[in-house]
Amino acid sequence: MLRNRFWSKKKQETAGSRILIFMAVSALVWGSAAGLTGCVGKDTGESGSLSRQEMPKVLGEQGRGEPNTAEVINFDQRLDSYEPLKTHYHFYFTYKTVHPWWDAVGLGMEDAAKQYEERGIVIDYEYLAPDSVSAKDQTEKLLEASRRDFDVIGVDVADVTAVTPVINELIADGHKVMTFSSSDASKEDGCQRIAYVGNTHNYEDGAQLTETLCERLGYRGNVALLVGSQGVPCHEDRARGARDVIEKYPDMEIVETAYDGDDAGKAQELAKEFLTRHQDLAGIICCNMSNPVGAARAVVEAGRQKEVAIVGMDHDQEALRYLKEGVIYALGIQDCYSIGFDTIQVAMKIADGCLPGELYPEKTEEITTIIYQDGAPTMLQALYGEID
Amino acid sequence: MDGSQNNRIDQRQKKETMAYALIGGILIAAILLITTVWVSGRARVGTSQAVNRVSKFYLEELAGRRASVVSEELNNHFTYMKNALSVLEDSDLESQDALRSFLGKVKKMYGVDKFALVDENGLVYAQHSTISGRSRYGFLEEAMKGPVISTVNLYGARTQVLLAMPVEGITFQGSRIEVCFIQLNINEMLESMTLQASDNETYCNLYYRNGESLTNDDFGYLSAGKNVLSAMTEAELDEGYSYEQLADDFAVGRLGQISFEYEGIPESLCYTPVEGTNWMLTILIRGNVISDQISSISSAMMNRGVIQILITMGSMLLVFLGLIHQSRKNARILLEQEKMDGDRIRAAFAQVKREQTAMDNIHDAMGSGLWTMEFDEKAQMISCTWSEVFRKMVGYESEEEFPNRLESWSDLLHEEDKERVTKEYWDTVYDYTGEKTYNVEYRLCTRHAGWRWFHAAGRLSRRDDGSPISFVGLFVDIDDEKKMEQRLEQQKIDLQDALAAAQHANRAKTTFLNNMSHDIRTPMNAIIGFTSLAATHIDNTEQVEDYLAKITTSSNHLLSLINDVLDMSRIESGKVKIEEKETSLPEIMHDLKTIVQADITSKRLEFYIDTADVVNEHVLCDKLRLNQVLLNLLSNAMKFTKPGGIVSVRIIQKGNAPEGWADYDFQVKDTGIGMSKEFLEHVFEPFERERTSTVSGIQGTGLGMAITKNIVDMMGGAISVVSEEGKGSTFTVSLRLRTCCGPVGQEIIPELSGLRALVVDDDFNTCSSVTKMLSTIGLRPDWTTSGKEAVLRAKLAVEQSDEYAAYIIDWLMPDMNGVEVVRRIRGLIGEETPIIILTAYDWSDIEEEARKAGVTAFCSKPIFLSELRELLESPFTVQGMEEDEEEDREFFIGKKILLVEDNELNQEIAVEILQEAGFVIDVAGDGAVAVEKLRSAKAGRYDLVLMDIQMPIMNGYEATERIRAMEDREIGTIPIIAMTANAFDEDKRAALEAGMNGHIAKPIDIPKLMEALREVLS
Repeated sequence: MLRNRFWSKKKQETAGSRILIFMAVSALVWGSAAGLTGCVGKDTGESGSLSRQEMPKVLGEQGRGEPNTAEVINFDQRLDSYEPLKTHYHFYFTYKTVHPWWDAVGLGMEDAAKQYEERGIVIDYEYLAPDSVSAKDQTEKLLEASRRDFDVIGVDVADVTAVTPVINELIADGHKVMTFSSSDASKEDGCQRIAYVGNTHNYEDGAQLTETLCERLGYRGNVALLVGSQGVPCHEDRARGARDVIEKYPDMEIVETAYDGDDAGKAQELAKEFLTRHQDLAGIICCNMSNPVGAARAVVEAGRQKEVAIVGMDHDQEALRYLKEGVIYALGIQDCYSIGFDTIQVAMKIADGCLPGELYPEKTEEITTIIYQDGAPTMLQALYGEID
Repeated sequence: MDGSQNNRIDQRQKKETMAYALIGGILIAAILLITTVWVSGRARVGTSQAVNRVSKFYLEELAGRRASVVSEELNNHFTYMKNALSVLEDSDLESQDALRSFLGKVKKMYGVDKFALVDENGLVYAQHSTISGRSRYGFLEEAMKGPVISTVNLYGARTQVLLAMPVEGITFQGSRIEVCFIQLNINEMLESMTLQASDNETYCNLYYRNGESLTNDDFGYLSAGKNVLSAMTEAELDEGYSYEQLADDFAVGRLGQISFEYEGIPESLCYTPVEGTNWMLTILIRGNVISDQISSISSAMMNRGVIQILITMGSMLLVFLGLIHQSRKNARILLEQEKMDGDRIRAAFAQVKREQTAMDNIHDAMGSGLWTMEFDEKAQMISCTWSEVFRKMVGYESEEEFPNRLESWSDLLHEEDKERVTKEYWDTVYDYTGEKTYNVEYRLCTRHAGWRWFHAAGRLSRRDDGSPISFVGLFVDIDDEKKMEQRLEQQKIDLQDALAAAQHANRAKTTFLNNMSHDIRTPMNAIIGFTSLAATHIDNTEQVEDYLAKITTSSNHLLSLINDVLDMSRIESGKVKIEEKETSLPEIMHDLKTIVQADITSKRLEFYIDTADVVNEHVLCDKLRLNQVLLNLLSNAMKFTKPGGIVSVRIIQKGNAPEGWADYDFQVKDTGIGMSKEFLEHVFEPFERERTSTVSGIQGTGLGMAITKNIVDMMGGAISVVSEEGKGSTFTVSLRLRTCCGPVGQEIIPELSGLRALVVDDDFNTCSSVTKMLSTIGLRPDWTTSGKEAVLRAKLAVEQSDEYAAYIIDWLMPDMNGVEVVRRIRGLIGEETPIIILTAYDWSDIEEEARKAGVTAFCSKPIFLSELRELLESPFTVQGMEEDEEEDREFFIGKKILLVEDNELNQEIAVEILQEAGFVIDVAGDGAVAVEKLRSAKAGRYDLVLMDIQMPIMNGYEATERIRAMEDREIGTIPIIAMTANAFDEDKRAALEAGMNGHIAKPIDIPKLMEALREVLS
C-alpha cells in the first residue's frame, strides 16, 4: 500500500521538556553535552522537528478533479526554526547517476542553501555522480570525500552490499555520513549511517502503481516489467512490490522483466521487444523515470496505445506529455524537490552534532503521488511552465 | 435744429448703439457655444484617430526599445563573462575555495543568480556548490562552439535564462574548463518593463516563437505560462487583423501589432523579435488606457470651453460698459494734455534744430565729423549715421556713395590699423562697466587724398544693465600733424643713428690710430734697433744674418700694414675696380697652397685642401682679388691657430646656377682661438680687432676682414662666418662667377671603364670628392681613411682576382704613413699598377724615398677633375713641377738691364738683386738720363729697362713715351717694366698705357721680379 507523508507542524513544546529530551539523548549517544548545544530548537513558537502523518494520496484520477500541485511537490518549502551553530558548512553528496530526477533533488538542495544564505549561513556543497550507476565509483568518491574536510557526507546508495562497508568505515573514522534521495542502506542492512532523507516506500510505490494498472485492466491480462538498474534498491523494491501484486491475481502474469540501465532509449528498445514477442500484452509496469518514456515511445510507434496500458514512476516532462495524451495511464510522482531541501536541513543538524530524534527523524520520508490523465496538464504547468 | 432735438437724436443713437451691442454680444456667444460643441465633437473623433495612430507607433517604438534593452542586457552579460574570465588568475585556480571565492565575487559584482564554470567532466563549479550538471543544463549535451542563450525550467516552473559561452585555456584540478555560464532571473530582467498605474496597465512579456511563455508572470489576463498564440485563438480580433498573420509573424520573428477583445476587454498586443534569440517580446496595452483618456480629454475640453465662453462674455460686457464710461471721462483730459504736449514738443524741436545747426557749424569750423550709432538690448547695432561733414572729410558727397553702414568706414581702414581700431571699437561697445572710452588714431583711404590720418573719439550712453544704447563720436583729420610728427621722429632717429655711427667711427678710428701707432712703432723699432745692432756687429756675419732676418720680418710686416691701410683707403674711396679675366680655379688653389705652405710647415699646422663637385674650373673673375680674399682668410686662419691645429680650405661648386654661371663656396676653416659673439657682429667692420696686438700677441691692422668683405661685395658675393671662442672659425665666401670653356669633360675614359680604384686618405672629404671624380670618369672606386685597411683591401683584391687598377694615397695619415702604405701595396701588386701620392704638403724631401717605395706620381691637393683625368689618361712619368732656379740663373746670365731709379738706396738694392741673378746692370738717375742712354746705345746694348715712375727732371711715363717714340725700332720696342712704389691698379694701367710691358711694385718681391723678367725676356 502506498504511504503518503506530509510534514506537519507540531505545537510548541515547553523549554523544560525540550531540555530534558536533549539531556537524555546526549547522555545516551554522545556523552557530551557541549556537542549538542545547537541541537535544541529556539523558542520561536514553531518546532524545528519533523514528523509525519500518514494518509493515502491518489490525485487527479479521471473524474476526481485536478491535483493540488503543492501537495504533490512542495516547492514553497521554508526552513524550519533550527538555529545552526556555525556560519559556514561543507557538505559532500554523491548519488547514483547523472539524471534529471536527481537534478530536481539538487534544486531542492540549492534552494535550501539559498535560504540559509539569506540567514547569514553559508553552505558549500558538492553534489556529484558518475555518468552511469557504479558502486565502485561511489565508494571511491566516498573515500575521496573522507580525505577532505567535510562536515557531513551524504550518499544515495548505488549498491547496498558494496557501499555499506565503506559507510561504516567512514563512520568508524569519525565522519558523519547520511543517506538520501532514492536509496537507503539502513540499520537492517548493517549500515551505521546516521539518518536517511528520501523515499522510504519504494516497495509500496511499486505495489500501488501495479494495483492501479490491475484495476485498469480488470485484473486480467499479461504484463511486462521494466526496471531501471540492477541492484539499485529503489528500483528493485518497486519491482518486488509489482511482482507481489501481480501474484495476487490469477488472471494476470508478468511475462517478461528487463532492465534499461536508466536509459530511455534502451527502455524503448526493450518495450519494442515486449510488444513484438507478446502480441497479447496488456500493460507495462515501469519502475523508474526512464522506463515509462521508453515504453510510451514504443507503444506509440507500434500504434498500440489503446491495447497496452502503461504505469510508471516520476515526473519526466515527456512522460507527463504521454500521460496527458493518454498513452501512459498513471505516474507515481515523488517530491524530489523536498528530498533535496530536507537533506540539507538534516545534514545541517547532523553537522552540528544532533542525533535523530526530536529535531529530525532517523528516516525522513517524502511523499509519492499517483496522477492520471486529468492531472497531467496541471503538473506540466507546475513543473515545467507548460500550458497549451 | 435746436439743442433738445439734438439731445433726442443723441439719445436715440445711443439706444440703437446699445441694442446693436447687446444683440451682437448674444449672437457672438451663441455662435461660440455652437462652434465649441461642434469643434469638441470633431476634436474627439480626430483625437481618437490621432491617438490610435500615435499609440500604434508608440507601442511599436516601445516594444522595439524594450526588445533592444533585453538584447543589450543579454549581450552585456556575455561581456561580463568575458571580462570575468580575463581577470581570472592562476591563484584563483589553486583550490576549490579560491575558485569559489572568485565565482562569488563575480556573481556579486554582476548581480546574477549564478556564475559558473563547467569542466570537461560536466562538473559545474559555482560559488557554493560543485555539481554534476550534464543532465540539468541542456547546452552541455554537445560540445559548445559559440555563445548560447537558453532557458531552463527550474523545478516549480521557474524559468531562468542561461547565457553560456565556450572557454579555452583554463585548467582546474587537472580538468579543462570548457564552458562558462550565467543564470539570470528573467522576471527580474523584465520587472522594470511593465507599467502599471491604477486601472491603466501595460504588460511586457517574452515568448518563444511557438507562443510558449518564457516568464513566470501573468501577462494581462493571460495566466503565467499560457501560450499566447493559443490564447489569441480564443480572442475576438478587430477588423483588419488575422490570427494567421499573428502566427506567421511569430514564426518568422516579425514586428507586428494586433487589436482584439479578450474576455470582453479591448486590448492591443505589439510584438517584436529580440535580436540574437528566438524570443518575441510582447507589449500588451488595455484599450481603455487610450479610450478613457480620449473621452476624458474631450469632455473636459468641451466643458471648459463652454464655461470659458460664458465667463468671457460676462467679462466682455462689464469691460465694455466700464470702457465707455472711462473713455468719455479720459477723452477730455487727453485733449487738453495733447494740446500742451504739442506745444512743448514743437518748442523742443525748435530748440534741437537750433542746437543741431550750431553743432554743424562748429563741426564745419573745426573740421570734425560726427557719427552716431544705435544698439538694441543685445548690443547689436541697429543704426549707424555718418554726418555730412564726416562724409566730406573722406571725400564722399552723399549717402549713396557712403552709406550709413559701419563697413563704409571700416573698409577704408589701413590694413595695419584695422585690427587695432576695430578691436578698440568693439571693446568699447562691449565694456558694460562703461569705463572704457573710444580714443584712437588711424589711417583711412580717402577718396581723393589717399591715406590720411584721423583721430576719432566717442562715448556711449548705456542702459541700467550696461548694454549700449547709442555711441556718439567725433572724427578729426590729423594727417598734417601726424606726418609732421613722423618726420620729426624719423629725423630724430636719423640723427641718433648718425650720432651713434659717428661716435662709433670716431672710437674705431681712435682705436685704429692707437693700434697703428703701436703696430707701426713695433716693427719700426725692430728695424731700427736691429739695424743698429747689425752695424755694431758688422764683423760677426752670423749675428748680422740673424739681425737681417729679423729686420726682413719686421719690414714685411710693416709693408703689409701699409698695404692694408692703403687698400682700405682705396676701397673706401671707390678707386678699386674688379677686373674680370679668365681664371683657372685649380691655379688659384695651387698658388694659394704654395704661398701658405711654408707658414703651414713652420707653424706645424695640419692642412687640408680639397674640392667638391667642381665641374667648372675656368671662370671669369679678378684673380688677384680672389687670391687676396682667400689669402686674407687663410692668413688669418693660420695666424689665429696654434701649432698642431687644423686649417682647411675647400672649394665647393653648388648647383642651380643659371646657364653660363657657376656658384662657388670657398670655405676656410680653422681650429683656432675663434671669436666672441659680440665681436662676430663687427668682424667685417674696418679698424675692428677683437684684441689689441699687445694683448693677443698677434699683430694686425684690423683691416684684413673689412678689405675682404669689401672685395667680396664688389665681386657680387657674400661672406659669412661661424665661430666659437676656443673652438675655431669657418669663413665662407659665396661667389657667382661667369664660366668659360664649359665644364670639365665628364665622359668616361674607355680604357678605365669598370676598373677598380682605391682612394686612401684620412680626410673623409678628400675621399668623398676623389671617389666621386673617379666614378665620373668610369672607374669603380673604393675608399678608406685608414692606411692599414688600404693594405688589407689591396690584399683582398689580389686574392679575389679583382685588383685595383689605380691607387690614390694620401701622404700623411695617422695610422700609417702613405709611403709605407705604398711600399706594402707595391709588395702585393707588382710594378704595373699606378700609385699616386696625393698631398697638400711639399713632397720634395720625400720624393726619392717615395719613388723607391713604388710611387708612380705625385699630385698636389686640391685635385680637380681635369687634373685627375689628365693624370690617369697620361703615361706616368716624372714631371718637373717647377723650373729649376738654376735654369733661371742660366737664362738671365749676361742679360743687360738699364735700371732707371733716382733713389740711391733703391738703386743699390736693385743692382745687388739683379746682379745676383746674373744680369748686367747699368743705372740712370732719372728718365731723361735713361732716354739719352738709350738713344746713344748701340743695338743689343740693353735687353730690358726697369723704370721707376716718380723721378725728378723726367718721370717714368714720359721717359717711356720718348723711348717708344724713337726711330730705332729695336730701341723703341725694348721691353720696359715699371718698378715703382706706385703700386695701385691705376698705376699699373697708367704704366701699360704709357707703353710699358709690365709692372713691379716696390718694395721688390724678388721671385715676382724674376718671374716678370723671365716672362718679358722670353
